[in-house]
Amino acid sequence: MGTSNSRRGRSALAACALSGTLLAGVTLPAGTATATASSSGSAAAASAPSGQGETTLRVKMSGSGVDTLNPFLAFFDGAYDVFAGVYPTLNSLDEQGSPGPYLAESWTQSDDKLTWTFTLRDGLKWSDGTPITAEDAAWTLNLIMTDAVAGTANGSLVSNFESVTAPDATTLVIKTKEPQANVTYVSVPRSGIPIVPKHIWESQAKNLKDYKNDTFPLVGYGPWTLTDYKPEQYAKFDANKDFVLGKPGFGHMVQQSFKSVDAAVAALRSGQLDYINNVNPTQFKALQADKNLLTIQEVGNGWTGLEINYNARTRTGKKIGTGHPALGDPVVRHAIALATDRKTLVAKVRDGLAVPGAGYLPPAWPQWTWKPAPGEETPFDLDQANKILDDAGYTKGGDGVRVDPKSGKPLELRLGIHADDTDDAGISNYLKGWLETVGIKLKIQTLSMSALNSDLAKGDWDLLMDGWTTGPDPTFLLGIQTCAALPKDDGTAGNTDSFFCDEKYDELFKKQLTTFDQAERAKIVGEMQSILYKADVNQMHFNHNMLDVARTDTVTGIVTGQPDAQGMYPAQSYSFWGYLKATPAAAEATAAKEESGGGSALWIGGAVLLLVLVGGGIALKRRSSADDRE
Amino acid sequence: MSALDTPAGLDVPRHHAFSRFCRAFAKRPAGLAGLGLLVAFGVLALAAPLFIGDDQLNVIKVDGPQLSPPVDGYPLGTDQAGRSVLLLVIWGARESLSIGLIATALTVVLGSTVGLLAGHYQGWIGKILMHVTDWFIALPSLPLAISLSAVLGQGAASITIAIAVTSWTATARLVRAQTLSVEARPFIERAKVLGAGNTQIMIRHVLPNVMPLILVSSTLTVASAILSEATLTFLGLGDPTSVTWGSMLQAAFLGGAVTAGAWWYLMPPGIAILIVVLGFTLVGRAVEHVLNPRMVGR
Repeated sequence: MGTSNSRRGRSALAACALSGTLLAGVTLPAGTATATASSSGSAAAASAPSGQGETTLRVKMSGSGVDTLNPFLAFFDGAYDVFAGVYPTLNSLDEQGSPGPYLAESWTQSDDKLTWTFTLRDGLKWSDGTPITAEDAAWTLNLIMTDAVAGTANGSLVSNFESVTAPDATTLVIKTKEPQANVTYVSVPRSGIPIVPKHIWESQAKNLKDYKNDTFPLVGYGPWTLTDYKPEQYAKFDANKDFVLGKPGFGHMVQQSFKSVDAAVAALRSGQLDYINNVNPTQFKALQADKNLLTIQEVGNGWTGLEINYNARTRTGKKIGTGHPALGDPVVRHAIALATDRKTLVAKVRDGLAVPGAGYLPPAWPQWTWKPAPGEETPFDLDQANKILDDAGYTKGGDGVRVDPKSGKPLELRLGIHADDTDDAGISNYLKGWLETVGIKLKIQTLSMSALNSDLAKGDWDLLMDGWTTGPDPTFLLGIQTCAALPKDDGTAGNTDSFFCDEKYDELFKKQLTTFDQAERAKIVGEMQSILYKADVNQMHFNHNMLDVARTDTVTGIVTGQPDAQGMYPAQSYSFWGYLKATPAAAEATAAKEESGGGSALWIGGAVLLLVLVGGGIALKRRSSADDRE
Repeated sequence: MSALDTPAGLDVPRHHAFSRFCRAFAKRPAGLAGLGLLVAFGVLALAAPLFIGDDQLNVIKVDGPQLSPPVDGYPLGTDQAGRSVLLLVIWGARESLSIGLIATALTVVLGSTVGLLAGHYQGWIGKILMHVTDWFIALPSLPLAISLSAVLGQGAASITIAIAVTSWTATARLVRAQTLSVEARPFIERAKVLGAGNTQIMIRHVLPNVMPLILVSSTLTVASAILSEATLTFLGLGDPTSVTWGSMLQAAFLGGAVTAGAWWYLMPPGIAILIVVLGFTLVGRAVEHVLNPRMVGR
C-alpha cells in the first residue's frame, strides 16, 4: 500500500518535525465510523503446501535499509518494512487504503467525536507467550505522547491525543483534543505506530535513546518473528503460524540488502531472490522478456517534481537563505513551468511508465485526485515562456542569459539534484536544455541527501528536484505546504518543502480537517491543489508507476489486488499483505532457467572492465618500475 | 660566456638531439602504435565540433530511438535519451583528454618544482618539502580526491585539481632523486665556481638534465590521470550534464544498462578509456627507452 509519507531517502525524517495540530481531524468514508471485524480468517492465505516450514521467501530489503530496530526512533523505509512484519498495530489497511481490524476487533466513536473506543481481540499472545492486552497499546501510545525521545519517529501522529487509557484487558479508550476522524490511521502497519510489549520495553523506557532492540528472536507479534538481523546484510524471519489475520504462506523470510539494484536483479534472475519492489524502467523492460518473472506496475503513490525557492523565510517572516530574488516573481516561475515538457520527461526519463504530473496528490488515491480545469493547465510552450519574460522586462544579455531588471542579476539558477537518483540526473539534462532556450541558465549541483536537506532548511538553493510518496490519508503531505511548516527563527522545526505559505491554503487546510463529508472534503483538497498549481512553486513533473518483479517459479500471490483495464495494479502493501499472502509456487512450475540476454553482455562488459584495470595496472606498474630503476 | 654561445649556436645540437630522439623513437613499433592511437583520438577530439553539433548532443533536440542496439545511422546504438553512443564517445574524448592533460600539466609543474627545490636546497627547505611529499604519499589518494572534489564542488575544474593534488608526489620524488644525481656531477661544481647562483644552476643546468625524466613521467601520468578522471566522474563527482567517458559509464550503470544487457552503451566508453590509456603507456615506455641511457638496448 506504500502508506508511508516518505521523501525519497529523506524518508519520514520530516514526520517528526510535523507541527502539533496537523492531524486534528480527518474524515472517513460515510458509514465506516463504526466498523466491525469480519471473520478473522478471511484474509488468510489459502492453505499452504505441506512442509511449508522449510520454505523461505527471499526479498530485497528496501534500498534505504534499516536505520535502527527501535521503532520509536526509526525513520527508514527498510525499518518500517521490518516493523510491519513483527509488531502489531490497532488497525490494518485493506487494498483500498481503508482501515480494517487487526489487534482491534471493532471500534466506535462517541457522538461528540472526541472519544474513540477500540475493542481488542482476546487471547492473542506475544511471541514469548505473554498475553497481548489493551494495556500494551495504552502504554505504547502514552509513552510516545509523554516522552520526547519516544515521540521521535511518530510523535506527530498522537499530538492531538488527550489521553489513552485501558479500562480492561480488551478495551482501549482514546480521547482527542479536537475531533479527529483519522484515529484509525494512527496505528496501521508500516506507516503507523507499532504496538510494543510493555513487559519487555518498560525497563528500557528510561534509556530509550540508546536501546538497540537487538535481542533475537525479537519479542513481538505479527505475521513474522525477527530471528536475526545483520546491518547492511539481511533480516531473517520465522513465520507466525498462529497469526490472527492468516498464516504466512512461507515458513521463513529473508530480507536481503543490496547496494545496487542491478545486483539484486542478477540475484533474481539466477533464482537467489524471489521479489524486488521498485526497479527502474530500463530494468523493468529488460525483465519483462523473462518468462520466469512476473513484472507488474503499480499506480504511482508519489510524485517527482521541482521545488522553487521563491521566498525563503521563517515563521516570523525573517528572510533567510540565498535564493535568487527573481524567483519571487510569478512570471519567472510560470515561465519555468511553461518551459517544462512533462510528456517528454515521462517518455524519455521514465520510458513512458509514468503519468505526467499536475495535481499535488498522486493517482494511487483517486479520492483526492485533482486535475486543472480545461484551459487552466500550463502547456509546454517555449515561445509563450519567452514572451512573458520579454514582457516583464527580463532582457537577454550578450550571452543569451536574461537579466533580472530589479536586482540586475542574470537569471543563473542553481538546480540541486540527488546524487544517486537517475531520474533527477535525467530530468536536469532536459530542464537545462529547455530553460536555456528561454534565457535561463541552470547550474546543476549534485548533492547528497544530507547536503540537500541542510541546504533546504537554510534556504540556500534556487531549484531542487524532490519527490514524496503518501498513504491514503493526505494530511501529512498537504501539511508540509502550510505556514506552520516554515522553520522557526533558530532554524529548527521546519519541515517545509519550498517555504510555501498562503493564507487561503492554510484556511482550507484547517477546513478539510474538520470536514466530515468525503465528497466535500475532496472538493476542499482539490481547491488546495489548485492553489499550489497556480503558485508554480511545487511543479509536479510526473507520478511514476512503481515497478515490481517477482519470480513465478518460486512464489505466487505476493502481488495484491487486481489490475485495471490498463494492467495497472493498486499501490502494493507488499511488506504486510504481500509477504503474508505469498506462497511457494508449485514445484512443477520450475522451468529450465534460461541464460537471459544480458548474460553474455555482462561477461563482455566484465572482460572490458578487466582489460581497463589491467591496462591501468600496467601503466602504474611500468611507472613504478621506472621509479625503482632510478 | 663567450660571444659564440649564442642561442642559435645552442639550437644546433638541440636540434640534432631532437632528430636523434625521433629516429630512435621510430625504431620502436610499440611506441609508434601508441602514438598512432593517440593522434587518431586527438584528431577526432579536436575535429569533433566540425561534425557533432548541439542537435546530436542536446537531449531536448535528439530524436533517436531510446537505448537501441546498433542500427542504421547509429553504428554504436543509442543511450536512454536517444543520442548516438558513437558521437557521445567522440565528444567525451574532448573532456576526458583535456582533464587528463591539464591535470598532468599541473602535476608535472607542481611535482617538478617541489622535486627540484627539494633536491637543490638540501637543508631544512628540502626536508620540509620531502616531509610534505611523504605525507601526501601516505594519504590514500582515492578518498582524498573524492573529498577534495566534494569540497571544491562538482565539475571539471575540481576534478582536475583533485587529480593533480593527489598525483604530484611521484613526480616530485623522481625529480628530486635525479636532481641530486645531476648536482653531484662535476659541471655543476664548475658552474658554482664560475659564480652561478641558485636559480641559474636550477634552471640552466639541472632542469635541462631532468627534463627527459619529467617527459617520461608525465606521459605515464596522463594515463593514470585519465583513469582517475573516469573513476571520479563514474562516482558521480562530475557535472551530470557534461559528456565524458566516466559520466557515460555512470549513466549506463545507474540507468540499469547492465540488466538490460545494453553492451553498446557500456563498452564503447570503457574501450575508449582502455585505448587511450594504452596509447599513453606505450608512448611513455618507448620514450623512456629512448631517453634513458641505462635502458638502451633492453
